Amino acid sequence: MRCALLAVSAAALLGLLGLLALRGCKATPPGKLEKSVVVAAKHRVFIGNRRQKNPLSATPETIADGKEAFSHYCIACHGMDGQNTGVPFADRMSPPIASLASEDVQRYTDGQLKWVIDNGIWPSGMPGSEGTLSDEEIWSIVVFLRHLPPAGSQGEPEMYTH
Amino acid sequence: MKKRLMLLAVSAALAITVMILTTDSTLAQNPPRRIEVTASKFSFAPAEIALKKGEPVVLVVHSADAAHGLRFRELNLEVKVDKGSKSEMRFTPDKTGDFVGHCSVFCGSGHGGMALTLHVTE
Repeated sequence: MRCALLAVSAAALLGLLGLLALRGCKATPPGKLEKSVVVAAKHRVFIGNRRQKNPLSATPETIADGKEAFSHYCIACHGMDGQNTGVPFADRMSPPIASLASEDVQRYTDGQLKWVIDNGIWPSGMPGSEGTLSDEEIWSIVVFLRHLPPAGSQGEPEMYTH
Repeated sequence: MKKRLMLLAVSAALAITVMILTTDSTLAQNPPRRIEVTASKFSFAPAEIALKKGEPVVLVVHSADAAHGLRFRELNLEVKVDKGSKSEMRFTPDKTGDFVGHCSVFCGSGHGGMALTLHVTE
């Protein structure tokens, strides 16, 4: 049993090394198959906390709170609108930065979105924010994500405009 | 004579009433309890405060380094304080319980852990 596990691990490692040798460390966009497998795995296996409910209700105040908390540093990668507007490297990362208005993101439950913000997602580059943001701020961001403004309506992050 | 006695009695009663009212308003004008709070990266000191319901209080929030804030969502209270400055949060707790306030001005990597708990009792 132990030998079999070792063999599988070694094969996986070799496969990964082979893939790296073929692709190098270039940040190239994932193929359709890779993307669909990873998205499915994230939704069904890796992203936990599916059942936790948001303790904050969606009011103009909580949406504004979420927008403010989002502006602390999420905008550096996701743009002011959560749809990457003005983020110069959004398409050049591997995987590219997803639009938070996309169906792939909006299909997560509130609890899963909280989990993603708390823990980040390896190896996408998304950092975990637990401790950097309070629970209250993270839940308000989840509310904001459900009520994103129209793409481009918020301008570009200031850091990219000068 | 009777009339005079009645007048005296009424006057005395009025005087006593005025005295009581004056004493009460003096009590009401007692200064609220002032509590000094220091906000610094990444904590509040003290981190817990015991309060009495109905007792007016002023939290004087000092910033020891960067800009900070203190917000109690449940109590609808918020104050912001600039770097090296101080601000006051005046209120009278009207319900008992534990209320957790957080820093409301983003101040760095430990910002999310900055909390101050108010324990309000009868």
